[in-house]
Amino acid sequence: MGKIKNICRKRCVSFSFLLRIVMIISLILALWKKDYTWVVGTFIGFFISILPTILKKDTKFTLPWILDFLIAFITILFVGGRLLDYDSTIPGYQLVTRFFMSILVAFISLAVIYVLDEHWDGLKMDKYAIAFVTVILTMSIGVFLEFIKWLNITGMYYVKNNHVLMLNLSADTVAGIIIAIIGVKLIKTGKFDKITDEFGNQIDKMVIDRLEKRNSK
Amino acid sequence: MNKDSLKFGGVVLSYILKIIMIIFLIISIWKLHWVWIFGCIIALIVSLIPTILKRNYQITLPLVLDILITIALILHVGGGLLGAYGIPNYDTLTHFVSSFLIAFIAFVIIYILDEYWEGLIMDKYAMAFVVIITTIAIGVVWEFNEWITDLVFGTHEQWGYADTLKDLFIDMIAGIFMAAVGVSMIKRGSFDEITEDLGEQIDKRIIKSKKDEQKNG
Repeated sequence: MGKIKNICRKRCVSFSFLLRIVMIISLILALWKKDYTWVVGTFIGFFISILPTILKKDTKFTLPWILDFLIAFITILFVGGRLLDYDSTIPGYQLVTRFFMSILVAFISLAVIYVLDEHWDGLKMDKYAIAFVTVILTMSIGVFLEFIKWLNITGMYYVKNNHVLMLNLSADTVAGIIIAIIGVKLIKTGKFDKITDEFGNQIDKMVIDRLEKRNSK
Repeated sequence: MNKDSLKFGGVVLSYILKIIMIIFLIISIWKLHWVWIFGCIIALIVSLIPTILKRNYQITLPLVLDILITIALILHVGGGLLGAYGIPNYDTLTHFVSSFLIAFIAFVIIYILDEYWEGLIMDKYAMAFVVIITTIAIGVVWEFNEWITDLVFGTHEQWGYADTLKDLFIDMIAGIFMAAVGVSMIKRGSFDEITEDLGEQIDKRIIKSKKDEQKNG
């Protein structure tokens, strides 16, 4: 079983690497098309996708590999939607992108809550309570994203109508529920602990321990 | 002002609000507004639920909750019956009061679970955060309800994109306001006082923790 896991892990990591290459190609395409807004967009996307690697090298910080993969994949979806205009040419593309982004948000939420539950004295939660908070946190972050679109902070064009808004919020809710269900199963089997163990210990050393020491002084 | 006189004031206010509700019922009968006659009767029954729970089941809801429920109902019924929804921002006010009520209920439930249930131990600031996201998430569920009603029955519960986002923004503000009030009440110990009776009754009937035994033993 260990060998199979390692093969899967290596393949996912190489897929993540492949996605980054596609992003560099997107960056070159953006430059060629002289779409400078998207030159900046793709650059930011690429930077976000390699962020886990940078963090790992600089501070010995390891993000769970699945998070690394999801960040790269979603950035590709975003960049493809804007640069290759899939957002307007492929029906439902934007909703699919939003759904995967919410999956990422839900996974990060679940991981953060789980790590806090494991390492911080200020939070001890039953696994079903963790699942519930994951769902409502994903929904709330979705609402924040809609506020950003509404206020037009990024200066980008978004479709602003009630039906699209409600579909986006539905995608957030469904993504939150899916990750909550998977999360509970992984917590029950102890697999989630393995995924977040290294990451949790580093967060514990870097943030929680320092905060608790500061509070105790 | 001491606690007894404050409690007495609260009880008097609760009765005054119920008398206002009866006056609304009389006005709607006088005007033969059948929809609001029915609405007033339903609202009156809902506002009497805390009294019924106390008399028949010995469950004491916090007086603040009793008052908040009645104010929310009065604003809604009064708005419809007296045409107050035509007043600028009246809808915003009623939405804020309802969201504040939801946030208060969320805070009470989380606080009681934290006090009596072994499955939840939460720092007061974490509680405040969860109250905010719960209020936003319930706001989203409410918007889903309106959206689906419009799709299925062809009604116009949702007025449009900006109005939906405005409602969600008000939910967030009400959640933040309640979170700030709640944290300051926990610090002063007054939140414990107002939820003590309800907490003990819920513990006895549902949670069945060993807290009482620990207290006595």
